Amino acid sequence: MLILITGGSKNGKSSIAEKIITSYNSKRFYIATMIPFGEEAFEAIERHRKIRLNKHFETIEKYTDIQEIDIDNNSSVLLECIGNLCANEMFENKIEKPTDKILSGILKINSRAEVFVIVTNQVGEDGIEYPKDTMNYIKNIGEINKKISKKADCVIEAVYGIPIVLKGDRLLYQPKSIIQGELPPCLL
Amino acid sequence: MRLITGGAYQGKLDFAIKNYNINTAEIANGESFNIADLSNIRCINNYHLLVKKLLENDENPISATSEIISENPDIIIIINEIGSGIIPLEKSERIWREQVGKVGCLLAEKADTVERITCGIAVRIKG
Repeated sequence: MLILITGGSKNGKSSIAEKIITSYNSKRFYIATMIPFGEEAFEAIERHRKIRLNKHFETIEKYTDIQEIDIDNNSSVLLECIGNLCANEMFENKIEKPTDKILSGILKINSRAEVFVIVTNQVGEDGIEYPKDTMNYIKNIGEINKKISKKADCVIEAVYGIPIVLKGDRLLYQPKSIIQGELPPCLL
Repeated sequence: MRLITGGAYQGKLDFAIKNYNINTAEIANGESFNIADLSNIRCINNYHLLVKKLLENDENPISATSEIISENPDIIIIINEIGSGIIPLEKSERIWREQVGKVGCLLAEKADTVERITCGIAVRIKG
């Protein structure tokens, strides 16, 4: 089961992803892709760690080359996020177009997982013309998103905490707890 | 409370005026909104700019938003979606963009209805 979650910054993507993952009882893996560099990265990592606390995730820190990751068969896997992973492959590993590499890593993990939830980002909607490297980054994210979306069983867009199911069975994948939740997912 | 969202210039304000019969005198602009006027208005437009103003004045946008909703529970709030671009280089812009996300999640959670407008077309995404 492959589920892709997209949306803007602080729109509740991670919370929706974790709600889906924790509805499964299999062993949970969290693939962290953010390189801990600078104050804001630490803050973001701390914030996400707090959210995951007591949810029994085994964390795998892998900033590039996710095809090397070894997970247990039939486990639940959460990967955050394509934006970081793509930037790391492009700017650390110096791969200009890592789209197929990232996709094959994803399919390898998915072939062993019971459920694989991937958080990605919408980065191309501010209408600003950036330098060439950044435009290339926007293009790569768009292409990876399209490729994953094609393979995914379910694609969700988070709009201010509201999960909009773009692909897949609404009743099966839209957890009731999100619709009826007392707090907006990003504040949980 | 009703929330209307979407990108810039998609027809959010027109939709609100027509669909909820609002007079232009009943609309406040987030840029110049004063909380003292809250009882005289039915709609706050450009709520993302109110978030910016609050941050510039060192006020907490989350608690201000809670206060606005409890003071005027029938308010119609229009907020742009601004978080789907490249992370800004400027720290204050990053903070603003993230706070707009959090405030938007709070508004959507509290709202009875949420409508998202794209190219003038409204899609009810909650309620």
